[in-house]
Amino acid sequence: MAGRLSQEVKSEPNLTPILDMVFQLITFFMLVINFKSAEMDLSLKLPVVGSARPVETHGQRGLLVLNIDHMGNLKNYGGVVQNVELYIAREAYASRLAAHIESDDKEAAQDLPTTIVIRADQATPFKMLNRVIKACQDNGFRKFALKAVNKEA
Amino acid sequence: MARRRKRRVQSDVELNLAAMLDMAFQLLTFFILTFRPAPIEGQISLRLPPPQAVVVTKDAQKAGQDTKNTNPVQGVNTLTISVFADPQSGTIKSLNVGETQVPGLAALGGKLKEVFADPGNPFDQVIIQVSDTCRYDELMRVVDVCTRQVLPDGQKLSKLSFVEVPSG
Repeated sequence: MAGRLSQEVKSEPNLTPILDMVFQLITFFMLVINFKSAEMDLSLKLPVVGSARPVETHGQRGLLVLNIDHMGNLKNYGGVVQNVELYIAREAYASRLAAHIESDDKEAAQDLPTTIVIRADQATPFKMLNRVIKACQDNGFRKFALKAVNKEA
Repeated sequence: MARRRKRRVQSDVELNLAAMLDMAFQLLTFFILTFRPAPIEGQISLRLPPPQAVVVTKDAQKAGQDTKNTNPVQGVNTLTISVFADPQSGTIKSLNVGETQVPGLAALGGKLKEVFADPGNPFDQVIIQVSDTCRYDELMRVVDVCTRQVLPDGQKLSKLSFVEVPSG
C-alpha cells in the first residue's frame, strides 16, 4: 500500500469583509457619539411637564448646565460643587468676558447672554433650587431653561 | 559581455490585515462602551428677573399722583400666585391668585385665563411665591399652567419670578 504524503494546507480567511463591517460600525458610533451628554447627570429624575418643548439651540450664545439632585447638591461632571455661589460667580465672569470680547458695547453686558439650563430632580425642595436660581440672578443671568420630560419614562 | 536575462518573479503582495482588524476592534469597543444615547428632554424657557413688582408710570408721574385711579393694583403689572405646600410631602396644599384662593391647578388655569383675557388687566409678568418645602415637580406643574397663558398682546407668558416663603 502506497504511503500518503501529508500536505500542510494553509488556511487564511479573507479578513477584508469583516474589516469593512467593523469600519462601518466605527463610523456609525463616531457619528452618533455625543460628548456633551457627559455634563448631564443621567441619574436625575426630571419632572414630567406637558408643555416642555424640544431644546432649541438656535440663537443661544452659551449654555450652562446645572444638575441639582434631590438633596439640593449642585453637580458638575459627576462631582458635587461645594461652593455654589463661587462657582456661579466664576461662570458669570467667564460669560461676561466672552460677551465683552464678542461685543464692543461694554455696557451691554448687564444681562448675560448665557442661558442657565437647570436639570433638577423632581423631588428637589424649592429652597435648594431657589438658592441656585438666586445665585444666578445675583450674578446677572436672566435666561433660564427648566428641563423636563414630556412623558413618564 | 554576455547579457544577463533577469527573471521577473511575480508574487502577490498580501497585507497582514489581522493587526488592522485588532485595532479596529479596539476602536469599536471604545465607542460601544462610551456610547450613551442622549435622553429625550424638553425644556421650558423662561426669563427670570429678580423678584420685584413692576409699576408702570407715565412720564414724570409720582406715586399716588393719579387721583382718578381708585383700583389699588392698576398700574402694577405683576400678578402674584402663592403656592403653599405640605411641609412633610412637599405637595401643593393650596393655591392663591392674588388674594383669591383657587381649588386646584385646573382652576388656576381657568382663573389665569380669565385674568389675562381681560384687556383692562395690565399684568405681563408673574411672581410665584412658593413654600420652601415644595417639590420641584409640583412647582413645575404651576409653571406649566402659567407658561400656557397668552397675554392680551398675543405673546405667551414667559416672565416669571420665584419668591421663597417659609412653610409653617
